[in-house]
Amino acid sequence: MNETISRFKRSKYFGYALLFGLALFFWAFFKILSPHNFGTSKLMANYLQTSIQYAVGGCGFYFIVVMGLFDMSIGANIVLSSLVGVLLSRQFGYYGLIFGCLLCGTLIGSFNGFLYTRLRIPSMIVTVGLMLVLESVAAYVVKLDPAGFPGKLTDPNILAFNHAPWNYIVAVSAFLLMAFILRFTKLGTYFNAIGSNEFVAKAMGINVEKYKFIGFVLLHFFVGIMALLTVSYGKGMLAVTGMESMGRNFKPLMGTFFGVAFKKYGMPVSAIVIGEFIITLIFNGLVALNVPTTINDFVTGAVLLIIVTLTNRGARGSVVK
Amino acid sequence: MKEVVLRSENVNKHFGITHAVKDVSLEFYRGEVHGLIGENGSGKSTYCSMLSGIHSISSGRFILEGKELHVKSLVEANMNGISIVVQEMGTLSGLTVAENIFLGREHKFMHGFIKDTAQMNRETQQLLDSYGLNRINASTVIDNYSFEDRKLIEIVKATYFEPLVVTIDETTTALSQKGREELFKIIEHLKETNKTVIFISHDLSEVLAHTDRISVLRDGALVKTVNSNEVDADELKRLMVGRELDNRYYRTDYDGTVSDEVVLSVSNLSVPGEFEDISFDLHQGEILGIGGLSECGMHELGKAIFGGSYDRTGSVLLPRKGLEITSIPEAIKHGIAYTSKDRDNESIVLAINIADNITLPSLDILAKKRVLKKKELHAFAQSHADRMSVRMTGIKQYVFDLSGGNKQKVVLARWLGRDSDIFVLDSPTRGIDVKVKADIYALMSELKERGKSIIMISEEILELIGMSDRILIMKNGKFNGTFTRSVALTEEDLIAKMV
Repeated sequence: MNETISRFKRSKYFGYALLFGLALFFWAFFKILSPHNFGTSKLMANYLQTSIQYAVGGCGFYFIVVMGLFDMSIGANIVLSSLVGVLLSRQFGYYGLIFGCLLCGTLIGSFNGFLYTRLRIPSMIVTVGLMLVLESVAAYVVKLDPAGFPGKLTDPNILAFNHAPWNYIVAVSAFLLMAFILRFTKLGTYFNAIGSNEFVAKAMGINVEKYKFIGFVLLHFFVGIMALLTVSYGKGMLAVTGMESMGRNFKPLMGTFFGVAFKKYGMPVSAIVIGEFIITLIFNGLVALNVPTTINDFVTGAVLLIIVTLTNRGARGSVVK
Repeated sequence: MKEVVLRSENVNKHFGITHAVKDVSLEFYRGEVHGLIGENGSGKSTYCSMLSGIHSISSGRFILEGKELHVKSLVEANMNGISIVVQEMGTLSGLTVAENIFLGREHKFMHGFIKDTAQMNRETQQLLDSYGLNRINASTVIDNYSFEDRKLIEIVKATYFEPLVVTIDETTTALSQKGREELFKIIEHLKETNKTVIFISHDLSEVLAHTDRISVLRDGALVKTVNSNEVDADELKRLMVGRELDNRYYRTDYDGTVSDEVVLSVSNLSVPGEFEDISFDLHQGEILGIGGLSECGMHELGKAIFGGSYDRTGSVLLPRKGLEITSIPEAIKHGIAYTSKDRDNESIVLAINIADNITLPSLDILAKKRVLKKKELHAFAQSHADRMSVRMTGIKQYVFDLSGGNKQKVVLARWLGRDSDIFVLDSPTRGIDVKVKADIYALMSELKERGKSIIMISEEILELIGMSDRILIMKNGKFNGTFTRSVALTEEDLIAKMV
């Protein structure tokens, strides 16, 4: 009996039970406090649509976070890729929008990865520098818009990704792609191995620099997909400067934390998706209760910390970086 | 005539100034279990690390089935028929059991860039089942298993592909009796299938029972290779030690009497999984040696005394002050100094300069009205660096540029600056050249004369005999013997209590 329980506790079913249990708890909590303004089926669909765009970015983040790396330029990439997508959509419609976002995102990822692996500077520092560069480039790109509507998706015929089913199709494709990469290619194994012990990974013949580079490329490819959803949802994108884009880093990152915390159950992708949904539930629950934004951020952050701490607490005295 | 499957010719390994393996030439027969023994630091693990591609060879060569080996990683070694189960944790967290076993060898399951994970899991499960490890699930993340299970998984990883030579490096200490039996069954199976096993262990009875021949290393050099059925444990110990006590650098007094005053009292101290129920008193002006094999718990004991271990039970008291030490800040505040065996990671901050390293624990004393004055800090650091004769370009030199011996001098200078009364020195001369060793021994004698007390944890038997007033030997987390300072004390006496 004990063995069965212990097996269950380390299975993915336990992970799912925990996550769905948490989602149900928060839904019930806010539903009781705000029965009319929260948690109706229509609103739940809205929460899900909101959360999937962050979950896509969270999936990308996961590739580098498991290797112990970080990227501060995600928000700047979303802004720039969105603007490039919008600009190209003027001429090429959907093709311009899709490939503009994805290609620009991926190219930025290649550049980040190249600089990080070549310069041998901590990823945090490299990507802060790149964030500033990308924000400046984005500010320049908006001036190139021939239509005179900088950053706005003006053609109503290319807004398919801001509602169902296409937003779901795009997001689910991204989730499946991530699950495929983690489960059915060497990349997932190698990313985890590098994050676990880089020295041993090298000793096993893994080209660590190469896979770190690939991690950055994949991250920003997913950021490109997130940019496609973000610009579609917002029907446009504003260029920002002065590190303002950094605010866009954190919502996807919250999902990644769930992914890392639930990695031990072998279900990081699901954990990112459900985790983002839980965060969105909490955020909207607090909005429904008319809680001021500052307190909303405080509660959301605190809940995230509690969940991740409880599910992924290291041994006492272990070194946590 | 037995067939030689592997041989080494004049293999050498240098780590900076340390000559870890010296001209070792050895032959291993096909289908034999070959024991490799020696004291800590005798070069056994380094020799096998070179064979397995973990470390590069400084000079010499390995020849496997007539061909010279050129391996640069474990995977390359595996591809050439060599595998190793390492002393430390050799599996990677975050990966499934199957991913760990096939890490670096996924090509078997790749169709283009797509990995057949289901097939990999199936094959791994069959493997685990064939080793009698059906309680382990191939697709489960390895973090969910105990250290022992992870060690057994590592053994499967090292042997499933039928390598020609398997090295098992001090693995049995991590295993329970049942785990050991499983390991010995695997070794027997490898032997029956004509594979060669290099078996490293400190447990001489285990080595004698499960090997055909035994090679003894001492100070990095090969002493002798003997047939296991022609020697006993005493003969092996003699071969391991085999030298006269070298007392050029050690204390020459053999009085051994110390003050009656107890300055530190350790009572029923335990850290789960490391050591249990340790009690002893340290007297003023005493050098108390604590010895044993690497994994006997003595290194963790040093940390625990300094307040650096979690899950510690029992007490560490300073009777003079009527205080109990429960944390590192308290220990430092009340005059306890500590140097770790893992100098680079736990004793010194490599990325800052000598001055900052020396002043680090004394900033609260040096800060007058909470303000630090650079000039005073530098003067303080300079005086203590000079006192320890640190060889440096200046106190602003970064520590990572220094040799191991000079790093240790910086660590000691730091605690001298703090004017500590009790020094817990874990492996104080590890990897240090003879000159610096002599300096450190001289410092210890000077501290003793000044009434300071020292706990010296050491894997070097000569050092323990040469410097200690009293020696406590640990085995499997407990004290197993006590010796007082005496001319008659021999290395054999200590070894007998260690193994």
